[in-house]
Amino acid sequence: MNDPRELVEHFFRHESGRLVALLTRSLGVGRLDLVEDVVQSALARALLTWSRRGVPDDPAAWLYRAARNLALDALRRDRVRDKILPRLAGMGEPVAEPLESPRFAEEIGDEPLRLLFLCCHDAVPLESRVALALRTVCGFSTPEIARALLTSEANAQKRIVRAKERLRDEPDLWELHGLPALRGRLDAVLATIYLLFNEGYAARADEPIRRDLCDEAARLGRMLVDHPAGDDPRVSALLALIGFHSARFDARLADGAWVLLDEQDRSKWDWAAIREAMRRLQDSLRGETVSRYHVEAAIAWEHCRAPSFEATDWRRIIDLYIALDRIAPSPVALLNRAIAESRLEGPRAALARLESVPASRIPVDYPLWHAVLGDLHLQAGNLDAARAAWTTALSHRPGRADADLLRKRLDNTPIDAS
Amino acid sequence: MSKYMLIYRDPAEPAAAPSPEEMQAFLAMWGEWFGKFGPAIVDGGDALEPGGRMLQPGGIVSDGPYVEAKEVVGGYSVVEAESFEKAVEIARECPIAKVGGGIEIRKLAGYNA
Repeated sequence: MNDPRELVEHFFRHESGRLVALLTRSLGVGRLDLVEDVVQSALARALLTWSRRGVPDDPAAWLYRAARNLALDALRRDRVRDKILPRLAGMGEPVAEPLESPRFAEEIGDEPLRLLFLCCHDAVPLESRVALALRTVCGFSTPEIARALLTSEANAQKRIVRAKERLRDEPDLWELHGLPALRGRLDAVLATIYLLFNEGYAARADEPIRRDLCDEAARLGRMLVDHPAGDDPRVSALLALIGFHSARFDARLADGAWVLLDEQDRSKWDWAAIREAMRRLQDSLRGETVSRYHVEAAIAWEHCRAPSFEATDWRRIIDLYIALDRIAPSPVALLNRAIAESRLEGPRAALARLESVPASRIPVDYPLWHAVLGDLHLQAGNLDAARAAWTTALSHRPGRADADLLRKRLDNTPIDAS
Repeated sequence: MSKYMLIYRDPAEPAAAPSPEEMQAFLAMWGEWFGKFGPAIVDGGDALEPGGRMLQPGGIVSDGPYVEAKEVVGGYSVVEAESFEKAVEIARECPIAKVGGGIEIRKLAGYNA
């Protein structure tokens, strides 16, 4: 028996995801609510037992047995047992004997990954996919999802319920047998992981970085890259992108305030993570595809490889942003390109670039757009224009760390007397 | 040294189910408690399943006395301490107390010791 404090971080959360995946496979997507209840009860039982007796040597197997038995109990009370029980029994008899970890891992197999693909089914509305994946694959509770996605609990719950309703109406969902079926949904899965990472990386709430969301995105990505269905250079590119950005987390914040790239202590970057991301980037270069993930990873790599802010290869970064805007046009790409251009050609050139953007492409309610405009105006000496742009940025409810930075700029910039 | 029973009282209507992450944090608190007071905790005790039967005087059996109660006994542990104060101190650091549950502390009379 072991000390509960030595359980790996997020053990309950991740086991919950694995068990939900496994039981959903046996009981059907239509019974997702029952599955969640059963898994919750199994975890509660573990909590009560382990708190008094310590953690068993193979806690995952213990949980698996408990969940399986609870599922059988629940089904015995359920009229559908005749149809379901044989399938559940087919989950194998190893539950009767002590399980070895490796064997148990085999038992779980790729179910969590299949569940992730299921969450990204066409029938599930886009905004529900991340919520459902967090709930089922990652083991987040509704309040945790609401906090993560900056929405109310009622709204988070609604997204999940809607997703489940849609899936209930889809027959044979688990018949994603065969790689072609899984591959066909890879785009949506990649987009979901990317979105999850973004939610954590650029969180707008009080907490500037939601590290656990970024970690979950990385975990799902790693799950995917090791599976035949994820045998696609884009998966490696996405993991590289996540790796390069995650490596800078510790340097990006000091006492809850942003430390901008030019002031970051580069020795605080996680160089092991950067090397790992480099390997992923290398992997992503097999094949012909150049996806947005490739380009974004390449940009992040350019920043990581520069020995100092001044020594950054801005020309190369501009070219990459031009490429990115072609593959995946977005105001964020435009904005970042302008920032890079200001380093190379000065703030006026960058302002001219942004001013040439057609009005229809300007995201007027995106605070960062105005914040960057303000910075460029400041560098060009247009103090009043800078103040006006920052004020506009503040009016669009930026996150707390962003707002602090904007107010500091406003305080430090005098009203133009000329 | 005397033995004291810590009787854990949970609200009869528990708050929303804890998330897996919260459960793990709670479990770690138990590890903390046993780690700190290990030798003094002579019996980790057990948790009680919710519900039960109540045998009333006169032989009437009902479904537990809990219907009207604001809190129910959810479990117990037994600790050894040199004084009531010391036992209270141990109870104060118990995870049950830390998450807002009540703990009744009773000295064992020791007739059976």
